[in-house]
Amino acid sequence: MWFEIKVAWRFLKSGKTQSFLILLGIIIGVSVQTFLGSLIGGLQQDLLDQTVGTSPHITIMSEDQTPRPLQIKNEKMVRLITFSDKDEGINRWQEIENNVRGIKEITAISPTINGSGFALRGQKNLAIVIRGVNIEQADQIYYINNRILEGNYDIGGNKILIGSKLAEELELKVGDSLKINSAAGISDRFIVNGIFNLGSADLNKSWIFMSLNRASTFLDLKDKVSNIELQVNDVFQAEELASLISKENTNIKAESWQENNQQLLTALQSQSSSSIVIQVFVIIAVTLGIASVLAVSVVQKSRQIGILKAMGATNRSVALVFLLQGAFLGIIGSIIGSFSGIGLSQLFVSLVRDEAGNPLFPVQVDPLFIIISITVATIAGMFAALIPARNSAHLSPMEVISNG
Amino acid sequence: MVEKIIKINNLVKVYGVEVKNEVLHGLDLEINKGEFMSIIGPSGSGKSTLLNILGTLDNATSGQIIINDEDISYFNEKKLALFRNKNIGFVFQFHHLLPEFSSAENVMMPYWINNGIADDSLKERAYELLKLVELEGFEEKIITKLSGGQKQRVAIARALMNKPAILMADEPTGNLDSETTERVYELLRNINAELNTTFIIVTHDRHIAARSDRVIEMIDGYIERDIYTHQEREEKEWQEFAPSYCFLCEDEDKKEIK
Repeated sequence: MWFEIKVAWRFLKSGKTQSFLILLGIIIGVSVQTFLGSLIGGLQQDLLDQTVGTSPHITIMSEDQTPRPLQIKNEKMVRLITFSDKDEGINRWQEIENNVRGIKEITAISPTINGSGFALRGQKNLAIVIRGVNIEQADQIYYINNRILEGNYDIGGNKILIGSKLAEELELKVGDSLKINSAAGISDRFIVNGIFNLGSADLNKSWIFMSLNRASTFLDLKDKVSNIELQVNDVFQAEELASLISKENTNIKAESWQENNQQLLTALQSQSSSSIVIQVFVIIAVTLGIASVLAVSVVQKSRQIGILKAMGATNRSVALVFLLQGAFLGIIGSIIGSFSGIGLSQLFVSLVRDEAGNPLFPVQVDPLFIIISITVATIAGMFAALIPARNSAHLSPMEVISNG
Repeated sequence: MVEKIIKINNLVKVYGVEVKNEVLHGLDLEINKGEFMSIIGPSGSGKSTLLNILGTLDNATSGQIIINDEDISYFNEKKLALFRNKNIGFVFQFHHLLPEFSSAENVMMPYWINNGIADDSLKERAYELLKLVELEGFEEKIITKLSGGQKQRVAIARALMNKPAILMADEPTGNLDSETTERVYELLRNINAELNTTFIIVTHDRHIAARSDRVIEMIDGYIERDIYTHQEREEKEWQEFAPSYCFLCEDEDKKEIK
């Protein structure tokens, strides 16, 4: 094998221009592949983060409750549950919470009371969504603490948090009091202790957070909660975990984010398949490039092949010389190509930025993807060398030697 | 009794499938071990074909070939390649060295092929062989930097690398000037004497033919004459019965190359 490796390497080295050109071809191909892969991977991750990063992945609700998906203007999908009948809700929710806590994939649990109401101030009367939560638990899903613009996220007693848009429309500041009517007609006054920005105009206009206890009495839910919201480690496991939770607890159902985001999932899938199509064509182009260069090389080196055979090199041995050349081109080209692809993505990230200086596109370099690219390019290189290798094996030493 | 290194029986070679062209018509020949033999003959007489078949580079259409007590008629490609590597060294008219490698690497090539390794374990032997062909100091030079005569001597060193029993040469001096031809001949003769290697040389060069132990003349696919010369014989004497084509073809070949 060492003999073949040495000869293959020497042949590549002797045809410098040729080897360089084909190597350049492979490098460009693989770097485009790596760049596109990283970009598409990053975009998908970003889209996913935006969609489910700060919202529940699984929502546990009572069995007869129907969720309603709500399309929000900035294209984020957020689930919103509205109640028609306040008697619905989860009994013995602490028990379920404890059960769920035992599942190790679950990273955040937040029992929540949802209700609708109206915020009244002066002449204005705005529809709002009341969300009763244990703020520390809800923070793990919504990152409220980090998104408080004014005041703080304490919601003990009569304190509430309102969105920036609502504060703007009702001209509210931290410390002001706000009258809220529940859908059932109960009216009470609350103190604004914080103003948040959850990154969605709709949520900033409609959501208010109050403590679970306060919401429970205000909405007269007794000892029930509307939902238990969960986040999980791997968002794509949500569906599986949701059905597990539904199965193991009675009188409730658990729904995953996927059920209400089919569109997004389809989009992700078609993105992935278009990325695969691009990569397949890049590989085909690279393979054809290697094949044509090696085919020419067999003709150019036919004299050397004949000489080697005359000296006792077997057909298998000379064929191997060409297979190895293909493999070398594939390995070297794809390693350099991968690195220049990563460099290209980093350059792209550093150049394409929004006004605030944040990268516009997230780029994610997946080491597994790189390893796969290198392996595929190497196999493609050897595959491309098959026909030239076969031709070299069939070459008779006689032809070369008698022709000088 | 002298040991026979090559025996051929009723050797026939036909080229072409539809239009058959028989170039060797049932040859019988025995070659002694350590013999320095020349094959002469006009162009198209079948002498190169015979050499290529003896060197296992080409297949006979029929007939038996025994080299070193082995009947190679039924060897497969792989077995033939190994046999060739171990037993036969080749020197061609156009040196046929690998331009990608240095002199020493070219000399080691037959060893590398046989052993599947490309290390420098036999570098010493390669250097010795290059010394034998008076190429000391050229060991690490790339082939393209050498003159025609130097290349041919590297080719001879390479042919000797695996200590073959037989060295075959097709017009080894056909491409060299007369002075270099003389030196190459001396070299071949010395090797023949020192290592007892059997030499089979196809040549147009009457000087070389004249100084061989044995001369075979081929005409139209038959062995026309088989003469045992003696080293003491004067070149003049040989010239008396040297075929006329030996003079003519020599010049023709030179023209073709230009």
